[in-house]
Amino acid sequence: MSLDDDLAAWAATVRLPEADAAAIFQRIVASAADPSAAPADATVAAAPRLDASWWRGYNAGFAARMVASTAPVRLAA
Amino acid sequence: MDREAEFRRLYEAHRVAVYAYFVGRTGDRQLAADLMQEVFLRAWQRLDTVTGLPEEGRRGWLFTVARNLSVDSARRQRTADGAQRALARERSGGWASVATPASTAVLAAERATVVAAAIAKLPEQQRVTLAMAAASELSSAEIGVALGVPAGTVRYRLSLARRTLAEALGDYDDPQEEQ
Repeated sequence: MSLDDDLAAWAATVRLPEADAAAIFQRIVASAADPSAAPADATVAAAPRLDASWWRGYNAGFAARMVASTAPVRLAA
Repeated sequence: MDREAEFRRLYEAHRVAVYAYFVGRTGDRQLAADLMQEVFLRAWQRLDTVTGLPEEGRRGWLFTVARNLSVDSARRQRTADGAQRALARERSGGWASVATPASTAVLAAERATVVAAAIAKLPEQQRVTLAMAAASELSSAEIGVALGVPAGTVRYRLSLARRTLAEALGDYDDPQEEQ
């Protein structure tokens, strides 16, 4: 018996049986094709959002703090 | 071609190689079947993407998923049920039990056990490569695409694995030579 015969015999024992392969195929095709796809009639809840005026105030304050932080430090006399 | 027929074509073209890959990686046929199912489930969910690729690209896509899954699986196995699996494998004779021969001839059974035991002892890269070459009959270039290595590396690993197996079988055929 050659090494190739030995390997072929071993390979035959580690092949997935046809019935198991067919069962796996059926399980897969029975599942949803795209689980992330939402149903057509799904209503998407609106995420809570901050008012635009709040963001304007926040941005102005942030910019002011940035400018102030770059000013030279006045040393005590 | 409808979606299911297209998926069947993909599944039939690659399932043997994917399964052989996982058997080589894990040494556990049930786990290999579960992981193979997971690979093809992902392919089914992204069928348009996968079938839009050329043949070599499809194989590359499937085996990229397979490699990632086997890494995740190995990590889980090490933590959660590693001890349990090791115990079960120990009880069932581990890799040697994979090689249940179809033939009832005692000699063939013994020889098959020697082959399986020698394969189990191979370094993982060689074992995976050998499993894919033996079970799926892919060419070195095709296995290279699947594993992300050059065809020359595949041939080198196969040559090392075959040499190790030949030595193991040589010892089995002629045990006196060892002394």
